[in-house]
Amino acid sequence: MAPVNRPRSVRDRNESAWLLPKDGRRCDPALVEGMRRFADDDVVDLVVVGCGAGGGVLTQRLARRGWRVVCLDAGPFWDPDRDWVSDEKGSHHIYWTDPRVIGGSDPVPLGSNNSGRGVGGGTVHYAGYTPRFHPSDFNTRTADGVGQDWPISYGDLRPYYEAMEEELPVAGQSWPWGDPHRYPQSPHPVGPNGQIVMRGAEQLGIDVRVGPVAIVNGGFGHRPHCIYRGFCLQGCKVNAKASTLVTHVPDALARGAEIRPDSMVTRIELDDAGRAAGVVYIREGVERFQRAAAVAVAGYAIETPRLLLNSATKRFPDGLCNNEDLVGRYVMVQGAPQVTGRFEEEVRMYKAPPPEVSSEQFYETDPTKDYARGFSIQTVSPLPITHAEHVAAEGHWGSVLREYMRDYVHWSTIGVLCELLPLPDNRVTLADEKDRFGLPVAHFDYSQCDNDRKLIEASEKVAVSILEAAGAQETLSIQRYAHLVGGARMGATPSEGVVDSNLRSFAVPNLYITDGSVLPTQGSANPALTIMALAARAADHLAASR
Amino acid sequence: MQQRFPGYDVMSQAREWDPVTQAVVQARLGPRPALAFFTPPEEAVARPLMNRLLELDEGPAVPVLEGIDQRLATGQLDGYRQVGMPPAPEMWRRSLVALDEASRERCGREFALLDRDCQLLVLEGVRTGGDFGGMPGPEVFAAWLRFGCTELYSHPDIWNEIGFGGPAYPRGYKATSPGIREPWERADVAPAEDPVPIGARMEQARKRHLDGVAARAAK
Repeated sequence: MAPVNRPRSVRDRNESAWLLPKDGRRCDPALVEGMRRFADDDVVDLVVVGCGAGGGVLTQRLARRGWRVVCLDAGPFWDPDRDWVSDEKGSHHIYWTDPRVIGGSDPVPLGSNNSGRGVGGGTVHYAGYTPRFHPSDFNTRTADGVGQDWPISYGDLRPYYEAMEEELPVAGQSWPWGDPHRYPQSPHPVGPNGQIVMRGAEQLGIDVRVGPVAIVNGGFGHRPHCIYRGFCLQGCKVNAKASTLVTHVPDALARGAEIRPDSMVTRIELDDAGRAAGVVYIREGVERFQRAAAVAVAGYAIETPRLLLNSATKRFPDGLCNNEDLVGRYVMVQGAPQVTGRFEEEVRMYKAPPPEVSSEQFYETDPTKDYARGFSIQTVSPLPITHAEHVAAEGHWGSVLREYMRDYVHWSTIGVLCELLPLPDNRVTLADEKDRFGLPVAHFDYSQCDNDRKLIEASEKVAVSILEAAGAQETLSIQRYAHLVGGARMGATPSEGVVDSNLRSFAVPNLYITDGSVLPTQGSANPALTIMALAARAADHLAASR
Repeated sequence: MQQRFPGYDVMSQAREWDPVTQAVVQARLGPRPALAFFTPPEEAVARPLMNRLLELDEGPAVPVLEGIDQRLATGQLDGYRQVGMPPAPEMWRRSLVALDEASRERCGREFALLDRDCQLLVLEGVRTGGDFGGMPGPEVFAAWLRFGCTELYSHPDIWNEIGFGGPAYPRGYKATSPGIREPWERADVAPAEDPVPIGARMEQARKRHLDGVAARAAK
């Protein structure tokens, strides 16, 4: 059956793709420069902290409802033409690289791996995989005895998943896993790396599908078709890959929101009645205070807890909303080992987007295994610097490293995402060290549990077997992590969560958290689409409550 | 060392790239500012360190140390650091002092004055050892290598060495299946040269050789 295209209805609720220039430029300076501006003393309806996946969607949704919204972002307002390059090393500035300390028995590298900077946030540098969570993700405690049940079900999010898939839009084959569904755009042609992985999976009888990727196939509004240049993780210069910079920010601006870049929020202020009064932020070296009737924090799993902890008051001496000692706890990353295999034919995996094909065949708990929950499989295509890290991780250096790297065009790479479990001691706290704003930096401890280790080991074996079945002469594995969620989880009660099912904090009635930090569990799906769906749902709640 | 892609010149495609990317890549081929971070005594250790870590004499000259210096001087760093590791600038200064100390202890002279064999021996000691200047040796070794690889594998001359197609906007790619190439790409002339057995033989030879060097150094 032909994929269903419903651009008309999408445009009716989000005009972003039609507000971008038609003339080949990737950003409309008139829209950015001409945006509505609010004064610090204006009591806006909502101030949003951070313009990534969650903050970008929330800002657009409420601007559409006529709310007066200011969204503050610590980084720049990107112009893809001017600010981004088709180059690995030259993309350092799109990552959040402020000082942070990592610890625990399995410390998680940050920076380019999982931390975005500027308007668009992490969606600027994510690969673009946008799977849904499975229905089973919402009650793992009850069904599998691990993790935590969500205070909402899959059905509560489904309409928002569907809306987001249309707005990004998502391209892929019809999806057989979780809640089976189709995608608004047809699957992309598969490049060399994806073809190898499909070949191996077919040999083993593993079901893989093309997608789901938030990359335009054929055209969408004024956003062009993907050109298969392979630099998705360096920021899409084509405007083909969805980031909130192109999918929600243009519509937000056209509907009267202000997105104020280069504004680092340092504190949330409460009034005498215990309600949020606005946020303190630093712009061009000057400390300012934006007044607001409500505050939404969307700084992601490290910066959101850090901001709450840095906003301690007399009433909340251990950090805002931290009266139950939950802020900063249960931060999760996915175990994401990658396996790279050598083929005598030239693969040249740098061509085509790294996100191409995936499988969720191993997503659910398999009662025959000695671990709970599962993993997904996805193609990845490291560029040379990242491929060198794979080689170095094997212990190679000097002449041997050079020899491996001269062979770069012969390697194909596959990644997995493992659902690691939420643990209370995997947490963000404040370090003694301070950043250039004088604020204590985040200290992020991470340690795996037994279930995590078993799952990672099993997933890596499957990835190796796929490449071997495809004809790999050799394989190398690297242990790594992907994504960051949790740290301000949602729960049914204040002792279970920092926020309720509508993302409103239990402790401060007009304070919301609308980013990945609210996730109680993470599945083995990339989190972006779920974060966007949750933010859109919270926007409906906010609009209805006024 | 055999060239795998003789005659390949990725810069012949630069006119197909957007001007911002062109400028960023071209700058790697042009003049570099004088060192700003490393002091002369530090430079004296860091240069031979990078030569050994990446065997820079094996291919075209790449200003690896200059690139690292620029990143450290301008703060273009990863930001995060592991407990037990200082921020990157301090890690570099302390590790270079520690490298000279380890060299004197193991082989009797500063790192820069050692022959290649002894340099390899000392570095293998850092990579597989414990405390190194108050820091975990393997972490320091990994950080050195990460900084070095970022410079080496972002250089167009090295893209020629490895056959990488380089930037591709706005042109994109057309030949996107295994075994085929764009008209301007060059075929690997030695596709059967699987680096895994070759690398294993090299590692074994290095280990045997270094065991001999270590035995002599101990006398």
